Amino acid sequence: MGSVASSSLKQEGFRYIGKRTPRKDGVAKVTGQMRYAYDIYLPGMLYGRILKSPYPHARIKSIDVSEAEKMGAVVITFKDVPKKKFNIRLVSADRVNYKDWEVLTDHPKYVGDYVAAVAAETEELAQKAVEAIKIEWEVFEPLLDPFESMKDGRPKIHDKILFGSKEITVKNNVACRLDYSEGDVEKAFKEADVVIERTFKTNRRYHMQLEPKVAVAKPEPDGGITVWTTTQTIHNTRILISQVFDIPMSKVNVKKLPIGGSFGSSIQTNLVTLVAVALALKAGRPVKIALSREEDMYEHSSYQMYFRLKVAARKDGTILAGELENIMDIGGHQIQAYPLLGCLLGWFVSLYKWKNIKYKGIAVYTNKVPACAFRGYGNPQITWAVESVIDELAEALGIDPIELRLKNYVGRGDLFWGQGPTVKSIVKSDGVPELLKKGAELIGWYNRPRSGEQKGRFRRGIGLGRGFHTSGAGGRISGEVIDFTGCILKINEDGSVDYITALQDHGGGSLDAHAKIIAEELGVPLEKINIIWADTQTTVYDVCTHASRGTYVGGEAARRAAREVKKKLLEYAVRLLGDVVNPEALSIKPDEELGQGVIYVEGMPDKKITVGEVAREAWQRNWGSIAAVVSYRATNSPPAYTVYFVEVEVDTETGRVRPVRVVAGADVGTVINPDLAAGQLHGGFVQGWGMAVLEDTPYDPETGELMCRGFITDYKITTAQDLPKIDDFTVIFASTHEPTGPFGAKGLGEAALNPVAGAVANAIYNAIGVRFYELPITPEKILKALKERGVK
Amino acid sequence: MTERKFVKPLKPKVDVNKVNTRILPVEFEYFEPRTVKEVVELLSKYGSDAKILAGGTDLIVRMKQRFIEPKYIVNIKKVKELNFIEDRRDHLAIGAATKLREIENSGIVRKKFTALYEAVRSMAGVQIRNMATIGGNLCNASPAADTAPPLLVFEAKLKIVGLDGEKLVPISEFFLGPGKTVLKHNEVLAEIWIPYQPEGTESAFIKIARVAMDLAKVNVAVALRTEGGVVKSVRIALGAVAPTPIRAYKTEEFLTGKELSEAVLEKAAEIVKTEVKPITDIRSTAEYRREVSGVIVKDALLKAYERISGR
Ligand SMILES: Cc1cc2nc3c(=O)[nH]c(=O)nc-3n(C[C@H](O)[C@H](O)[C@H](O)COP(=O)(O)OP(=O)(O)OC[C@H]3O[C@@H](n4cnc5c(N)ncnc54)[C@H](O)[C@@H]3O)c2cc1C
Repeated sequence: MGSVASSSLKQEGFRYIGKRTPRKDGVAKVTGQMRYAYDIYLPGMLYGRILKSPYPHARIKSIDVSEAEKMGAVVITFKDVPKKKFNIRLVSADRVNYKDWEVLTDHPKYVGDYVAAVAAETEELAQKAVEAIKIEWEVFEPLLDPFESMKDGRPKIHDKILFGSKEITVKNNVACRLDYSEGDVEKAFKEADVVIERTFKTNRRYHMQLEPKVAVAKPEPDGGITVWTTTQTIHNTRILISQVFDIPMSKVNVKKLPIGGSFGSSIQTNLVTLVAVALALKAGRPVKIALSREEDMYEHSSYQMYFRLKVAARKDGTILAGELENIMDIGGHQIQAYPLLGCLLGWFVSLYKWKNIKYKGIAVYTNKVPACAFRGYGNPQITWAVESVIDELAEALGIDPIELRLKNYVGRGDLFWGQGPTVKSIVKSDGVPELLKKGAELIGWYNRPRSGEQKGRFRRGIGLGRGFHTSGAGGRISGEVIDFTGCILKINEDGSVDYITALQDHGGGSLDAHAKIIAEELGVPLEKINIIWADTQTTVYDVCTHASRGTYVGGEAARRAAREVKKKLLEYAVRLLGDVVNPEALSIKPDEELGQGVIYVEGMPDKKITVGEVAREAWQRNWGSIAAVVSYRATNSPPAYTVYFVEVEVDTETGRVRPVRVVAGADVGTVINPDLAAGQLHGGFVQGWGMAVLEDTPYDPETGELMCRGFITDYKITTAQDLPKIDDFTVIFASTHEPTGPFGAKGLGEAALNPVAGAVANAIYNAIGVRFYELPITPEKILKALKERGVK
Repeated sequence: MTERKFVKPLKPKVDVNKVNTRILPVEFEYFEPRTVKEVVELLSKYGSDAKILAGGTDLIVRMKQRFIEPKYIVNIKKVKELNFIEDRRDHLAIGAATKLREIENSGIVRKKFTALYEAVRSMAGVQIRNMATIGGNLCNASPAADTAPPLLVFEAKLKIVGLDGEKLVPISEFFLGPGKTVLKHNEVLAEIWIPYQPEGTESAFIKIARVAMDLAKVNVAVALRTEGGVVKSVRIALGAVAPTPIRAYKTEEFLTGKELSEAVLEKAAEIVKTEVKPITDIRSTAEYRREVSGVIVKDALLKAYERISGR
């Protein structure tokens, strides 16, 4: 895992928190025994395939499915599904949710939009049946550029959509917008010593999660349905199925399965799940649909954003104003464009104290693959732009970039509203100064070259990027976003512990963190905690594993459940130990040799009983179960801060950039699992590097298809060989403690990515003295820019 | 807002409802011949509906992508005479169905044909190299095929077997265009003969790609022999910069008899740029490929030269 240089890892007094522990799912994963949705086989199961629109914008004049049916396939088209518009993501409160999706449509809005589906005995037969469906199309002129799309007189992508339960008309293909202002930016721009205004264009990245989406739906004899699918939220999946198909929730059961990465691509209930349900209901048999990688690439992308950013500062480095215009190309449907407009503002205002703020955010429909959340939810995009401009500001003012950041960043004691205007709180833990100081030392910041002064073919540069992400989307008022979780914890009759939660682990180890938190709080050995693969029928609600809330929100729920269970355990122990006065007289600690938690009286070694004995007695004496159900809403969503220092080497003759060294710093409060936390930073860097220099999904302007046609041959992500040597990647953790988090912990997953592209862009600038305003910064662009500037 | 209008006919370049890399919903007949003779007979019998399957790392992908739908598949992996590496005094012979991994692990290849070793090492991942064959790479005839530039600079000959017997074709005459070679539908590439180079020759291969294990934006191989710093013989070949892998004859001619000074290398790079005819595609731009062709030819020459001086 490279080197973890940190003072904070000596989290003394903890038995499991901060310690290296084996992953509970490790053996199953390493030996290939873990069962994912693709591994589900049911007796009598059919295989489904989906017919997609080959056109970016079209309408079906007629559809003929007779050939497919003759092959023995069960076929559904837009005619066979509920005539309802909905949003596939239910994280927003219903009243502010924009709904423009249908299960199958006769009016596709991008290449890949679903129009019909079949189920047959084999996948090959289903594929043949799908190819046998005949459609007469009316094809429309596609809109592939948001600025074009917004113009007057351009074709309409959507007619009417729903906002909550209200029908609204879409004007100029604007899906939604948000304006905000605070103070007076114009006045500040006039009074400032330095004003910088820039435009930025981000890329449109595909998530490339390991697992392409799979859905298996099984109709039940009582009219209900059981579903196994790739999802970050089993409960929202259940609710959506119930709403779309009018099946009572108690008859919809969604099973929790391991998922092969996600990065946001399954925050929504992917439409394939609803299609599988529709097919299973019609066929009266279980149906499995597994998307190919190529189909998956036509399912989702990151939000492509066009920023105009104008900032102002006084000579002394005090920032005076920040104005941001954000045009988002959202593709053919809304998934979470509206909350993103708010979050983007939130990320922006919570990076630096702008004092005077003006924001305009517009989400625009285009005939492209729908954009959805991608690790960081817009934060990597805006952080790249802001961190680029902050460096420019530092240069213009002649102030060291670290100093400028320290002077202006939103830190401890400041008002923080990362999740947008409806969720505000005060920052209580802040490791930014520590990370900047230590990171600067480790990378050799003060010896870095001056931009543009280097000579020779290979030029090195060091760049800094700083950012944060929230830990969850909780808050003191209910706001517009649903964020609460829950769990069930029970002590079994032998003292082992079942932990039952709907909260999904994407593979990053969120549930391992929970197990450690429970073991720590309860005082039982970690191996005693059993994480149950539950389902919607046997769990209480959890909104979704997103917004880096897994550890901070879910972990706190687990801790509270453990606390309740512990209370009951101690009460029973008092009864069993005879002359102990009350539960407060007792403590629990794990005894690894016994493999049990031991309840004891301090200083009286003979006064003790194991958790297993208490559990057994409670059972044998008919006292009842030792269990707790918790539903938990976090009232904060504190920032986890991250700082990246990156050294790059640019080959000025080929334009190629190589990462040479990385120092990744994170303030996640208490580190629950150091190896997995470091892994998040390694992975965050890999994705950020790809965003900075490599990844994009351009469209064929003639046909509206992806230029890569969905093939990973031409959608590349960074490989291990393209990265710095493991010893040149140093991870540091700040020694902070978040008072509102479980054992002082905060989130990490998204923060680990957010500042990377900014750091890389700043490093490239430091190496060659050229700044780029469009991602990815490819060798082609670098070489062209160097030639234009006559750099030799 | 206006109505939607249909402006021009849109013809999708691939069918989203067909292309994928998992499901193969087509039927074909499958053969496992044991001799080259049987292979050729099968090919003759079924004509252009038949396809040879070697490692399948191009063929099966293209079949799943539905770009081709052969009705007969002739697997050549069980043909022993196509799978060998043999030292034949004046040349090294490699059976067309020899796996890349075996070539990479061959000491002779590494020592005597370093550019080929480096090319194979740069291809895909180990799993693919355990399946993919050298013959498949050549017969697939991608302009970016990584084994082509090294074989071009070593002036390899290809032994082709058909119903009427066998012939030796210089590799420089093998490729006709993207996906096209001189092979007739009833012929099989049987062997690759790589002549041992004169004493003192060193070679090098360089590939520029988006990431490691990727297809080339540009690749180059050089084979170089010098005497007292003066170029006695040089051969240069590039891939992904023209419809087929090409030799840079003008550059070679310019370099021959010259000392490898910085100025000479710069000039060589300039000439290379006039010899390539790259296009813009999703992997790179024509300008970039042209520019970088010059750079990596220079780099490859230096690398080979260092090998000469280093021994
Ligand atoms: C993930 C991945 C990465 C790859 N990376 C690279 C790379 O970096 N560089 C690169 O150059 N290629 C790469 N390839 C392409 C491919 O692996 C190579 O071209 C490989 O050498 C093909 O060999 P094969 O044995 O698999 O060929 P096959 O797929 O079996 O055959 C390819 C074609 O050649 C024909 N053929 C095969 N053998 C003969 C013969 N003896 N006589 C006549 N015709 C024949 C077949 O009919 C078919 O048309 C990659 C492929 C994949 C899937």
